[in-house]
Amino acid sequence: MSLVKFRSRYFSLDDILSSQERVPCLFNTNVSFLGVGELTKKYANLPESYIKRMMDQAEWKTPRGFPQYLRREIVRKNKYFGLNRPWTGAFQMENARGRYHPKVFVEPIKDWTIFKGDRVEILVGDDKGKQGIVSRLIQERNWVFVEGLNCKLKVMGKTKTFPGTVFRAEQPLLVTTEVALVDPSDLQSTKIEWRYNEEGEKVRVSARTGRIIPVPQQADETYDYKSKATYRESTKDTNEKELTKITFSPKIKTFEMDIMDSMGIKEERIPCKTYWY
Amino acid sequence: MQFFDEKDNWERDEVRVGRAWRIPELRIKSNDDLHKLWFVLLKERNMLMTMEHEYKQKFEPFPSPERLDKVNESMVNLEEVVRERNRAYFELETGETGERPGRLTPNALGMNYWYKASEHVVPPHANGTWWRQKHLWYDRKECAQFLTYYREKLFLAKRKQRIRDRNHVLGLLRRFPDMDMEALKEQYPTVDIERVKRWKKATGHFVPK
Repeated sequence: MSLVKFRSRYFSLDDILSSQERVPCLFNTNVSFLGVGELTKKYANLPESYIKRMMDQAEWKTPRGFPQYLRREIVRKNKYFGLNRPWTGAFQMENARGRYHPKVFVEPIKDWTIFKGDRVEILVGDDKGKQGIVSRLIQERNWVFVEGLNCKLKVMGKTKTFPGTVFRAEQPLLVTTEVALVDPSDLQSTKIEWRYNEEGEKVRVSARTGRIIPVPQQADETYDYKSKATYRESTKDTNEKELTKITFSPKIKTFEMDIMDSMGIKEERIPCKTYWY
Repeated sequence: MQFFDEKDNWERDEVRVGRAWRIPELRIKSNDDLHKLWFVLLKERNMLMTMEHEYKQKFEPFPSPERLDKVNESMVNLEEVVRERNRAYFELETGETGERPGRLTPNALGMNYWYKASEHVVPPHANGTWWRQKHLWYDRKECAQFLTYYREKLFLAKRKQRIRDRNHVLGLLRRFPDMDMEALKEQYPTVDIERVKRWKKATGHFVPK
């Protein structure tokens, strides 16, 4: 029905309806937003609408709420996912107007297997055969960063008189072919399978030894807390006792009727006959 | 001074707060509690919008703008719970949802859109103003050509997307020959992968198996 989904330089022809009501659900679907990985969203611990809002910085937009303007905007359709998190300013800079990047091919993966805090073996490069801990993930590119391994020397702050500071920067590795998970029972790399245990939970099982490889605690880490238990409540948070208290009791009343009863408001006027059309 | 944030937060780069209220958490709360919570949220939103405006005026970055989204999400969830309760009451008592009625109707261009009905004192056949204002009719002859073009445009966009997807799959097959084909099919359902696999473009620069 509408072209709004494509969010390109096209504008939707049902903009002509701008003076009339619209179906709100049509505007909530956004193709460009599908680019963000689930693990990234989990780490962010931010509302989806906020991530969307930060990512979709419109290049140009007509003012909203005026009948003389059609609903048009120019938004970059295909976002480039690099080292930066989608809700940061650096991401916006990377996707700014006039910035172009080579096309990226990302292998589709059905079940993500390697998480933050996992011990992995590197299969390529200078550090081939070495084992390390996964420190960072970028799901949009199938990338993992292994702590202190697969590094590149970089020079920062070089001037005519100063040679600059040299530092080691971890380089991304492809999760599909360049790293392998290490089986904790014999500390050797294996392929893994997802299976269900007796409790019905999905677990990672080493294909070689058949041992369960538990998902590390660090995988639950978000920007706000290391683990749910260590989260520090802020002053405006509702505490758990208040949150879980059940105060609801079913009544044959609408919300408004219940509130009026509790506030002692009595309404005895009879409304006149009306027509809905 | 509830229009402004606490003074400690003014200079901060970020203000840490918890997540939004979720629907199951709101379902166990009484109507009174929801009523109070709504105004707590409304005041919070008002405060955040005031602060955002103030920071804009001062050319400063507004700390933790996601707070607005969190409050908004809570309010949307709360309204959903309230409407759910009202719907239950009306369905039990009157057999109708009690929600604002609406219908799909063609507009002046012959395109369907969701028309939200409104309450009137006069019945529709007597309400000339409404008939004149809402163009809920269209000239089939005049709109036919337009609709053809419009549908063509939609079709072309769809076809373009399909071809683009297919070419992307070719590129993927070329680069990752040992890819998980099920995952690929799931991600690109419009592409006939079995057919595309045999094409020369799908073969990379390596000896085929």
